[in-house]
Amino acid sequence: MTTERAAAAQAAAEENTAAQQNQPVKQMHLPGQLPGQKPTPQQQNRKPILEIKHLTKQFEAFTAVNDVDLTLYQGEIFALLGSSGCGKSTLLRMLAGFETPTSGSILLDGRELIGVPPYKRPVNMMFQSYALFPYMTVKQNIAFGLKQSKLPKAQIEERVEKMLRLVHMEEYVDRKPYQLSGGQRQRVALARSLAKEPRVLLLDEPMGALDKKLREQMRLELVDIINSVGVTCLMVTHDQEEAMTMADRIAIMDKGEFLQIGGPREIYENPNCRFCAEFIGSVNIFDCHLITSNAAQSLIASKDFKNNIELTHDIDLADGMPLTIALRPEKIYISHEEPEEKTNWCEGTVENIAYLGDISIYYVRLIGGRIVCATLPNVDRFKTGLPTWDDHVYLSWDPESCIALTF
Amino acid sequence: MRVNKPAAARLVIIILTLVFLYLPIGTLIVYSFNESKMVTVWTEASLKWYGALVHDKAIIDAVGISLLIAVLTSCTAVVIGTLAAFVLVRVRSFKGESAFVLFMTAPMVLPEVITGLALLLLFVTLGNVIPFFSDRGVIAIWIAHVTFCSAYTTVVIRSRFRELDISIEEAAMDLGAGPIKVFFAIILPAIMPAEVAAFLLSFTMSMDDLVITSFIAGPDSTTLPMLIFSSVRRGLSPEINALATIIVAIVSVCTFFAWLSMTRKQKRMAADRAKAARAMLIEEKAVIEHRRLYKSKA
Amino acid sequence: MSTGFSVNMTYIRRAFQRRRKEPSMAVHNNTWRDYALIFLPYVWMLIFFLLPFLIIFKISLSVTEIAIPPYSPLVTFEEGAMQIILHLENYTSIFTDPDGTYIRSYLKSLQVAAFSTVFCLLIGYPIAWALATSKPAVRNVLFMLVIMPSWTSLVVRIYAWMTIMKKDGLINDVLMALGIIDSPIQMLQTDFAVYVGIVYCYLPYMVLPLFSALMKVDYSLIEAAYDLGCRPVKTFFSTLVPQTKNGIIAGSMLVFIPALGEYVIPELLGGKSSILIGRILWQEFFNNRDWPLASAVAITMLVILIIPIMIFYKIERREQEKLYAGK
Repeated sequence: MTTERAAAAQAAAEENTAAQQNQPVKQMHLPGQLPGQKPTPQQQNRKPILEIKHLTKQFEAFTAVNDVDLTLYQGEIFALLGSSGCGKSTLLRMLAGFETPTSGSILLDGRELIGVPPYKRPVNMMFQSYALFPYMTVKQNIAFGLKQSKLPKAQIEERVEKMLRLVHMEEYVDRKPYQLSGGQRQRVALARSLAKEPRVLLLDEPMGALDKKLREQMRLELVDIINSVGVTCLMVTHDQEEAMTMADRIAIMDKGEFLQIGGPREIYENPNCRFCAEFIGSVNIFDCHLITSNAAQSLIASKDFKNNIELTHDIDLADGMPLTIALRPEKIYISHEEPEEKTNWCEGTVENIAYLGDISIYYVRLIGGRIVCATLPNVDRFKTGLPTWDDHVYLSWDPESCIALTF
Repeated sequence: MRVNKPAAARLVIIILTLVFLYLPIGTLIVYSFNESKMVTVWTEASLKWYGALVHDKAIIDAVGISLLIAVLTSCTAVVIGTLAAFVLVRVRSFKGESAFVLFMTAPMVLPEVITGLALLLLFVTLGNVIPFFSDRGVIAIWIAHVTFCSAYTTVVIRSRFRELDISIEEAAMDLGAGPIKVFFAIILPAIMPAEVAAFLLSFTMSMDDLVITSFIAGPDSTTLPMLIFSSVRRGLSPEINALATIIVAIVSVCTFFAWLSMTRKQKRMAADRAKAARAMLIEEKAVIEHRRLYKSKA
Repeated sequence: MSTGFSVNMTYIRRAFQRRRKEPSMAVHNNTWRDYALIFLPYVWMLIFFLLPFLIIFKISLSVTEIAIPPYSPLVTFEEGAMQIILHLENYTSIFTDPDGTYIRSYLKSLQVAAFSTVFCLLIGYPIAWALATSKPAVRNVLFMLVIMPSWTSLVVRIYAWMTIMKKDGLINDVLMALGIIDSPIQMLQTDFAVYVGIVYCYLPYMVLPLFSALMKVDYSLIEAAYDLGCRPVKTFFSTLVPQTKNGIIAGSMLVFIPALGEYVIPELLGGKSSILIGRILWQEFFNNRDWPLASAVAITMLVILIIPIMIFYKIERREQEKLYAGK
C-alpha cells in the first residue's frame, strides 16, 4: 500500500515538473508565475464547472457573504481559507443547499442551483464531523446515496465495492461508525460523498476532527484519492498549512469577502494586502513611505531604520505616500559584518533566540526600538559563528524579498 | 484499616432510602396473599383475593377502559411530543416561541385539580357549541390525558433530539434523501429510545391519573384509579392489595427489562469503543510508517 | 428523563466556535414546512391548555345557579341590549368568609407544600448524592429502584401507607414490640401522615433534577476547597450548593407547585385539620356543585403559583440554553 502511494506521489511530482518545463521562463515575482507553482486552471485550458456570481448572504443585520464571485475549474482542488466567522462555511453551505442566498447566482455546468433543494443537487459534501449514519454499517453508509437515486442493486454493490477499494476500507464493510478510528471514519465519509460521483465535492474542514499527528498523512492521502477520481473539489479550512498542501488554488476570505485568490506559492510570496501577508505565515511589517519610484527601481524610507529599502520594480503610488513593506523572517540574512550596499539592511541587537531544532528564530531589536523576527537554519556553513544573545548584528535582504503593500 | 467514610455513608443512605421506598409496597404485597379479610392481621397464605379480582366485573371493565385510554393517549402524546420537540430544537425563534415553551412546561407542574377543572369547564363550554364534547367519555378523557402527557413526552424526546448531530440529517439530504425520507430513515431510528421512553412514561401517567380523570369522566367511564380510589375511601380491602401487587409486578418486570436493555447498550458501547481503539492502534502504526517514508525522502 | 451527562470542555469550545461560524444555527429562515410542524402541537395546546384557563376565569366571574351548566351566563340579552355582569362575589367571599375557611386552607396548603419541599430536599439531596457518586453499574440499578415506585399507581402507594400507618399497622406493631410506645399512636388522619405521603410520592421529582445536577458537578472543586483548608460543611455550601443551584430550584418547584394543590394525599391520609385548598376546590365542585366558586378558588391558586411557575420556567429555559451551548 505504502509503496503504491509513494509511486503515486512520485508520478505526481514528475507531472508537476513537466508542467513547469512547459512554461516559458519568466521574470520572477509576478503573480501566478512563480517557480514551483502549478499552472493556473486557465493556463491548463480547463473548463469552468462552477460559477458563483455576486453571491450575498445576510443574516438579519449581519452579512456573512458579501458579493462574492468565484469560478471553479474542472478537476481542481480549491480551498477557502479564513478564520472562523469569515463566511467560508456559509458559502459552502449555500453551495450544498443548506442556506438560501440573499442574492446572486450559483451556476453548475451552466445550470442555476439556487432554488434546487439539497437532495436534488449534483454536489456532495464531506462534513466536518463526518456525519456518518450511526445506525448503519460502513457499507450501508456508502450505499445510502446510491439507494436514493434508485440505482439497480447490482450497480450499487459494484459502486460500493469500488469505493471501498478506493479508500482501502474493504476489511471494515460491516463495522458501524463507532467501531472505527478517526482516520477510518474520514475515509468512509469520503467514500460516501464520492459514491454518487458528484460534479463538485465539498469538504468542510476535512481535517478538523482528526488528531494532529494523523492530519499530515491524511492530507496527502485525501489529495491522492481526489486526484485519482478527478473530481472537482471545494474545501473550507482555517488551517493554512492544510490549504497550502492540499489545494491547487486558495481564496483568502475575511468578513465575507475574498481578499486574494491564487496558488499557494503566489499567496505566500505575493500577498496583495496586509491581511493576507499576516494571515499566511509570519511576517515583519514596516510602515514606510515612498521616496521615489520609476520603472527600474523604487526607493522607500522606513520609520524603523535609517537605510532605505530599494525595490527593483515600479510602485504605482505618488511619491511621499505611505505604504507597508512586508518581509518574511526566512528571507532575512543575519550577519556580524556590515553589508556593503547602501540599501536593504538595518542593524540591531539579538534580544532573544527561540531554538526550534531545525531553525532558530532570532528576535532582533533595532536601534529605533522595533523588534524584527528572522529565522536562521541551525547550520554554520561558513564557520563564521552563529549569532548569539546580545550580539550586534546586521539584517539584510534581497530586493525581491520585500513585498510592497499599498493597502 | 481506615473506614472509607463516603462509601459507608453512601451505603447507609441507600439502605435507608430503599427501606423507606419499598417497605410500604412490600407489606402490601405480603398481605395480598393473606387469607383474612383484615389487611393487617396475618392468618394464612391464600390466593383467594386474586380469584375475587378476576371475577369482579367492575375492576375488569375499569382496567379495559384505562388500558384503552392509556394506549390512545400514549400514541397521540408521542406524536405531539415529537412534533413539539422537533419544533423546539430545530425551528428556533419563531413567533410565540416562549409562549409555546410555557405551554409545554406548565402542565408538568400545575396542580392537577386546576388542570382538571379547567379541562372540564372547557368541555362543558365546547359542549354547548359542539354536542360531541358533552359526552364526557373515553374521547374527552383521552384529550385531557394527551394534554398533560404531551408536556412530558416533549421533554423526554427533546432531550434526545438535542443530542442529535444536525449534520447527519444534512448529510442524508445531501446524499439525495428528501425531508420525509430523512425523518424516517435518519431521525426516527436515532430518537427511537426516547420515543419508547416517552410512550412508556405517558402510558404509566395515563394509567395512573386520578384527579384530572375524575373531573372529566362521566358516570359511565370509570377508570382503574378512580375505582381504586373510591374503594380505598370506603376502607381497606385485600382485593386492592391483590390488584396493587399485580400492578407492582407488571411495573417491576418492565423496569427490569428497561434496566436490561440499558445495561446491554452500555456493554455494546464499550465493545464498540474497544474496537475503535484497536483500529486506532493500527492507524498509529500507519502514521509511523508514513513518517518514515516521507522523512527519508525529504 | 435525562440520566446525566458528562461535560467535555473541548466539546463546548468547539460548539462555541461553530455557533459563531455558522450564524444559521441561531437565525433560521423558517419555511412553510416549519410552520406546518408547529401547527399541531401549538393549536392543541392553545385549545386544550390556554383556552380552559380563560374559561375558568370567565366562570369565576359568574354566580351559581340551579341550571345546566350550573352557573349564570356572563353575557345576557335583555330587551335587545347586551349586558355583561361581572360577579366578584366569589373572590370577595374567599377573602371575607366569616370562618376564614378559604384563607386558612390557603395558608395551610402553603405551609404543607413548603415543609414538604424542605423535607424532600433534605432527604433527596443525600439520595441524589449517593446515586451520583456510585459506580456506573450500581448507579443504573439504584436509579431504577428509586424511580420505580413512581411508575406504580399513586393511589396504591398511598393505600400502602394507610395499611402500615393504621392503629394496628406495621409501624405501631414494631414500635410496641420494641417497647418504645405502650399504646398505638394515631398516625392516620394527621398532618404527619400527609407529610409522609407527600414526601414519599414527590421524592423522585426532587431526586431527578438534583441527580442530573450532581452528575455535572466538577468534583475537583471540592478537592480544591479541601486543599485550601475549607471545612466539610463550608465546602458543601461553597462548592456543591452553588453548582447544583439550578437542580435544587427545579426540584423544589417540581415538589412545591403540585403539592400546593394536592388532593388525593390529604384526602386519604389527612384528617379534618388538613383541609388543603385542593380539597376545598374538590368539595366546592363535586359536593356543593358551586362551579363559579371552585373556579375562583382555582384562579386564586394560580395567582399564588405564578411566581413559582415562572421561576421553574426560567430555570428550564436557562438549562436549555446551556444545553444548546454544550451541543
